[in-house]
Amino acid sequence: MRSAHPWRFLVAAAAAAIGLPAFAQDAPVRIGYAIARTGPWAAGAQLTQEPNYLMWADQVNAAGGLDVKGRKRKIELVGFDDRSEAETVVRTYEKLMGSDKVDLILPPWGTGANFAVMPLIQKYGYPMIAPTATGRRLLGMKNPYFFAILQQPDRMMEALAEFLKARRVETAAVIHVDELFGLEQYTGLEEAFKQKGIRIVEKKSYPLGVKDLKPVLSDIKAKNPDAFIALSYPPDTFLVTAQAREIGFNPKAFYAAVGTAFPVFRDKLGPTVEGVMGLGTLNPKSSPAAKAYFDAHVAKHNKEPDRWASAHAWAALQVLEQAVAKAGLDRKALREVIASLEFDTVIGKVRFRNGENVSTPGVVSQWQGREFEVVWPPDRATAPALFPKPHWR
Amino acid sequence: MGFWLELVASGLITGGIYALVALGLNLQYGLMRIMNISHGEFLMLGAYLTWLGFTVLGVNPLVATPVVALALFAAGLLVHRLCFRPLARTSPSVEAIEARSLLVGFGLMYLVQNAAYLFWGADLRGYAFLAEPVEVAGARFTANRLLAFGFAVAASLALLALLRWTLFGKAVRAMMQSPTGAQLVGIDTAVLHPLVFAAGLALAGVAGALLSMVYEITPSMGEPYTVTALIVITLGGLGSAAGCLAGGLLLGVVEALGMHFTNPSLKMLLSYAVFVAVLVVRPQGLFAR
Repeated sequence: MRSAHPWRFLVAAAAAAIGLPAFAQDAPVRIGYAIARTGPWAAGAQLTQEPNYLMWADQVNAAGGLDVKGRKRKIELVGFDDRSEAETVVRTYEKLMGSDKVDLILPPWGTGANFAVMPLIQKYGYPMIAPTATGRRLLGMKNPYFFAILQQPDRMMEALAEFLKARRVETAAVIHVDELFGLEQYTGLEEAFKQKGIRIVEKKSYPLGVKDLKPVLSDIKAKNPDAFIALSYPPDTFLVTAQAREIGFNPKAFYAAVGTAFPVFRDKLGPTVEGVMGLGTLNPKSSPAAKAYFDAHVAKHNKEPDRWASAHAWAALQVLEQAVAKAGLDRKALREVIASLEFDTVIGKVRFRNGENVSTPGVVSQWQGREFEVVWPPDRATAPALFPKPHWR
Repeated sequence: MGFWLELVASGLITGGIYALVALGLNLQYGLMRIMNISHGEFLMLGAYLTWLGFTVLGVNPLVATPVVALALFAAGLLVHRLCFRPLARTSPSVEAIEARSLLVGFGLMYLVQNAAYLFWGADLRGYAFLAEPVEVAGARFTANRLLAFGFAVAASLALLALLRWTLFGKAVRAMMQSPTGAQLVGIDTAVLHPLVFAAGLALAGVAGALLSMVYEITPSMGEPYTVTALIVITLGGLGSAAGCLAGGLLLGVVEALGMHFTNPSLKMLLSYAVFVAVLVVRPQGLFAR
């Protein structure tokens, strides 16, 4: 085979060398990213983020390609495993933007990794729309190429405070994970609760990787707060829910942060999750577009997306797609378009101001049966809230 | 009083889980100086096999646990044959075994972990089993945690009896003290060595099976468990079954009390403070002679 048509290779090489227009037209749009496929970040990254990238490239290519200012070009994803290491994230993006010179980039998973590449995207001028980065600290850097499409902590905590206030909750106990995420969420929550007049009767922090929170929960149970809020990461979200049930601590509102929106939360804990609230954005009942997104995700990956940031990851790709159709691959123009226009996505209209998605409101969701129902704000609700929370099952 | 009981009991149960995690490595490192750093990965394998059995085949995890133990035992024989037998043969001393097995262990760790990523993906997995709270003397515990605790205590005591009072146990201890000497008095180390190693892997598998009922699982779950295991066996005294149990329980109780009276964020500080304190007073560990 190889020796049969050496001329073919030569012609192709010559064509590439002089850049024949016929070939240039067909060249795919190369989109690079690094994301965790192994290591501790992989569980989140492989649930919330990368499946969306793969599905998007598939769908766009099946429809003829990415619309680059009216011209359809196929997408070629250049994805690497970052092994859950910040250094590998930085090195890989440096290579993708600096030496491979890909056309576009997609963000890595998680606040830390996004934080790590922010200086690079500014240096090389690549817009990045991050679905799994939260925190005022990131937006405070005023990086013109960084766009956070996920609701920020204060927004989510305000929604929670409004929800609780509307149900006359007066006291709350809070625990948070000792990480930037937990601290940011707590700052947002403290401010929102103060405004709404909800008293925080107990506040404790705990380290990542904790295996037992029962001693803390017993204390909190004794104080009998109306609401319990855990600003937690997935392993502790599971732990705190299982252990609250274990000791029979059943406040009127039980809220845990990251991980409640994961389908595995329901699968691991079974009927225990009934009435548990958490960070969410939508579910298949939210809109026909959301339903189509869930169905396509299950068809492609044979697993459900989560009910929070997955949809934001998909929405980020929709924003990018619409912006490229308008501005093409000139990244400065692309940044201007993303920064100034309003986009139609699976999570509704999205508009950025100073890098923050200011269109998507804070949302409170709650497990009811097998669905993570949106219960706040009222105009996005897919079911009325179960309040007070039913007893643990 | 009931409050104290609950607090200490909660610490004991978590401590039992720590001891459970350490059991297998205690055999391998404690008795044979094989620093099997991939211990947590085999624990993860046990967890995945149990999860697979439950979710795909509908096998009761309690039934699956002995099967997992057997499977890991067989895997242990194979791993020993392929990796640690040649290593033990070519190493001039016990110290050399220790250093070299560390490198082999790292290799195994990557191999097993990445195989798990390949087969099952990176997703969090889990299933609900024996998650109902059980009331014991006024305090409430989930049944699966009690089970893990019970197994840790029973297995530690069984191991203790085996090593102390049987000829087999004597032979194992002799092999550790002097491999050549053991051979001279007629102990077949070529049989004993792989058996003990494989038993260590089987115990890791059982720990994984039991923990999969309590916690959610991922392919990267193993590493923190290896660290826990190392702390526990060093604390308890290398190779001591009683020490392993006592070390785990001590850590659990100190953490529970510490988290209650200070701040949960100080958990690591407390565990390491205990660790350092014990090593300062008794560098050989709590129970080592």
